[in-house]
Amino acid sequence: MKISIRDVGDAKVVEVEGDVDLGTSPVFRRTLFETLPRAAKLALNLAAIRYIDSSGIATLIEVLKDSQRLKKQFVLFGLSPAVEEVFRLTHVIRIFQVFQTEQEALETA
Amino acid sequence: MPDNQPDNHADNRGETIGGVRRCLQMKFAMPSDPRYLAVVRGAIGPLAATIGWDESECRAITLALDEALANVIRHSYHNCADGLIELECCESADGLEITLLDKGDAPDRSKICAREIGCDQPGGLGTHIIKSVMDSVSYEESPEGNRFVARKLLRKTP
Repeated sequence: MKISIRDVGDAKVVEVEGDVDLGTSPVFRRTLFETLPRAAKLALNLAAIRYIDSSGIATLIEVLKDSQRLKKQFVLFGLSPAVEEVFRLTHVIRIFQVFQTEQEALETA
Repeated sequence: MPDNQPDNHADNRGETIGGVRRCLQMKFAMPSDPRYLAVVRGAIGPLAATIGWDESECRAITLALDEALANVIRHSYHNCADGLIELECCESADGLEITLLDKGDAPDRSKICAREIGCDQPGGLGTHIIKSVMDSVSYEESPEGNRFVARKLLRKTP
């Protein structure tokens, strides 16, 4: 799994590539929790995720809850088929703000 | 059993030709180390595709198996990487049977699918995924250890 972070205005865009599983999700979780307080918005690009398991989805839920506590925005965009499949099976997609593109994810207030 | 020997159980294991079993069987003995999960994922997808599932279903079956293995690593072996997990994936006459055997702590049945589906709680998603993907799932304790068996039927379109 590779993670990169870049600044776009007052937002941070986090790109994740590869597999998020039991072995890699602690790094995924730590990165998101460290990045969230440093920007008004955290936009997570999921397009290059080849695989994500329930520990990855649990991390997304935890980060969403923390964003609400910190009054930050946490949005997702570019869902890969692997991510869509897990969201479909876990029925949690409704709790997230999900966009097709980075531009749409960053434009929303 | 060699595939050129008659099989008394051939009625529920793969294609039979003159009483000889012809089925795909995959066995792994893996340490309870998450580093090996990707190896198993890399094998189960092509196996499911060969049996006849489409890309989306192969992803779901891969996910279900990965979740079952992750549960053994987390809950039976408490994230210790030196436990042993025996995995068998076997093509059957009507689909796929997955068996996991471990010698760690027995699963807490009260926590299996205890979480409400679709809610915003982060934990407990794995067993729901397994139940949703597979047609039957069982957890049992045996003298050999904890045995998890999951079956999925291949529904052939007419």
